[in-house]
Amino acid sequence: MSDWMIELVDITKRYGNIVANDHVTLRIRRGELMTLLGPSGCGKTTALRCITGQNIPDEGRVFIDGKDVTDVPTHRRELGMVFQNFALFPHMTVFENVEFPLMIRRMDKSERAKLVRDALKLVRLEGYEKHYPRQLSGGQQQRVGLARALVYRPKVLLLDEPLSNLDAKLREEMRFEIKDLQQRLGITAVYVTHDQEEALALSDRVAVMNKGCVQQVGTPAEIYDHPATKFVADFIGLSDFIPAKVVAVEPERVVLDVQGERIAAPPSESVSPGLDVLLFIRPNDVRLRAAEGDRQPNEIAGVIAKSTYLGDKFDYRVDVHGVEVRVQTHGAERFDNGQAVYVYLPHERCRIILESLVCPVR
Amino acid sequence: MRTLRQYLQALLNAKKLLAYTFLLCFFLWVTTPFLMILLKSFGRNWFGKLWFPPEFTLDWYKWAITVTNVPEVLRNTLVIAGIAVTISTLIAIPTGWALGRRQIPGKEVIMSTILLPRMIPPIAYALGVAQIFYRLHLIDTHIGVAIAHVAICAPYAILVLSSTFEGLDERVLEAASVCGANNLRTFFHVTLPLVMPGILSSIIFTFTTSYNEFTLTLMTYGPKTITLPVRTYLAVGEGYWEVTSALSMILIIPSLFVLFMIQRQVQPEKLVGGFKGV
Ligand SMILES: Nc1ncnc2c1ncn2[C@@H]1O[C@H](COP(=O)(O)OP(=O)(O)OP(=O)(O)O)[C@@H](O)[C@H]1O
Ligand SMILES: [Mg+2]
Repeated sequence: MSDWMIELVDITKRYGNIVANDHVTLRIRRGELMTLLGPSGCGKTTALRCITGQNIPDEGRVFIDGKDVTDVPTHRRELGMVFQNFALFPHMTVFENVEFPLMIRRMDKSERAKLVRDALKLVRLEGYEKHYPRQLSGGQQQRVGLARALVYRPKVLLLDEPLSNLDAKLREEMRFEIKDLQQRLGITAVYVTHDQEEALALSDRVAVMNKGCVQQVGTPAEIYDHPATKFVADFIGLSDFIPAKVVAVEPERVVLDVQGERIAAPPSESVSPGLDVLLFIRPNDVRLRAAEGDRQPNEIAGVIAKSTYLGDKFDYRVDVHGVEVRVQTHGAERFDNGQAVYVYLPHERCRIILESLVCPVR
Repeated sequence: MRTLRQYLQALLNAKKLLAYTFLLCFFLWVTTPFLMILLKSFGRNWFGKLWFPPEFTLDWYKWAITVTNVPEVLRNTLVIAGIAVTISTLIAIPTGWALGRRQIPGKEVIMSTILLPRMIPPIAYALGVAQIFYRLHLIDTHIGVAIAHVAICAPYAILVLSSTFEGLDERVLEAASVCGANNLRTFFHVTLPLVMPGILSSIIFTFTTSYNEFTLTLMTYGPKTITLPVRTYLAVGEGYWEVTSALSMILIIPSLFVLFMIQRQVQPEKLVGGFKGV
């Protein structure tokens, strides 16, 4: 038995001149929830539709449970799917909607009724059997969608922005409900979203996409702490990008030249002296202190250009030799506009990013 | 604050009252002539400027049925309407599907071409049709009169069905296929029930159009294909207003019946589905 429940191997899908999926390769483990995360139009839905069979890829193969399904039509792929617009059958009651996949499979009537009841219980919608979709709230409709997708225990659950038509509070609530269900049933799930918070909260692993390419695949922590590209860093959380030049590559550190100052960063692949790179760090990892005494290693001198009070933290823009560095501090110490400060970039929080790297995962 | 609310409430009530008044006027305007005919068809010795007949009778209906041969006329009307509805629907389903769901170059041009028979004056159009039918020996045949009716029934059907099919949510059909339904089962379990109300209302439209059609029938009918509207018109010429009124009532009944039947079939709350928001 293959370790992978779903494999997209080197998928390319074009619409006219638009390359919606550009050599996408994704492997999803059994029982794992993977999110496809990326801005609008990056090709998430296209990739998902290659899994469902609604898209036939121009190049590449699709495997589900070890079987090549590239040429298998949608209705024989045994999938469950939850749609952004719910896509319930408006002429059927809640019960009939959830029963539909079982009815299609010509399952026994009493068996059906039992499974439908179980599924409705799973999504906490008992007592709504006789309602029509339009008589339900958005959240309830999406629960029906979830029950319909899960009722026949498909191998794979696919969700295309299932929560984006719900309000913020309900979204958060349903997010955990979906995660909980997915774990209890141990079902493999692919979740499409453009909401990075949702992706980080839900996923076992995240695939970040941009312009039809997969930029990085990893756990939420890996994606957040070790973004592979500038795009990934920028898309998830706040980022500082400081132009730098590689001075020396040593076994346990890389020395960078930032506006004439020396900064040490952890070792990084494929860097060599003389290379122009970006020094990446999260604003809340940077520390400030008043410019007094000698500078310590990895400290550079700067001037506070702008400060904003955000309630639980301060947000500073620091001018470091003409480069703006954003810093967020929780400390009690306040700095005023125009004040000279030392900006400390902790060695272990620094990352080196090659700006030229655009489509790393091929 | 309170007074403002009361003021608004009063305004709202006034608006409601106005709406009801309008509705009542409209109702009277539509129903009064109808009532006059109804009374006329049952009244006896009703002359001069009296608003109400002094006596009632069923004689005019007996006359209408025997003298004007209503059973055969009704049969003609229904057969012609049936053929016209069938042909129109068969034309309109594929055409409406193409116009509603596919990107077709020159869609507007096609649409207005289809509507052309409805734009030009019916009598002019009917004259042209009669000239052609005369040459094709289609005058005074059920199929001939029905084909003439199709020219004005089909545009209705196409219009109604293309918007029905346009409103069909592709994503719901995709959901069915992800649920495991092949094309055939998707069609029978999802597509058909969703478009059925549209098809039914197209049938109502075309049926009543053909059933009530006068001008086109007048130019294409013959002794074997007299329809109710034409028969009623001829009765006016014969000068018996009471009989004509009775005929009109007979003409109206099946229309009302069809409308009522189909109204019960179509349950609006099932039709508007999907999601709130976007
Ligand atoms: N049926 C289609 N015909 C033509 N172009 C398409 C079609 N479907 C998608 N595209 C194009 O392919 C690209 C990727 O679209 P896709 O729907 O996969 O994006 P997405 O990541 O799901 O975006 P969103 O977050 O907005 O849903 C877009 O540029 C889109 O315009
Ligand atoms: Mg999408």
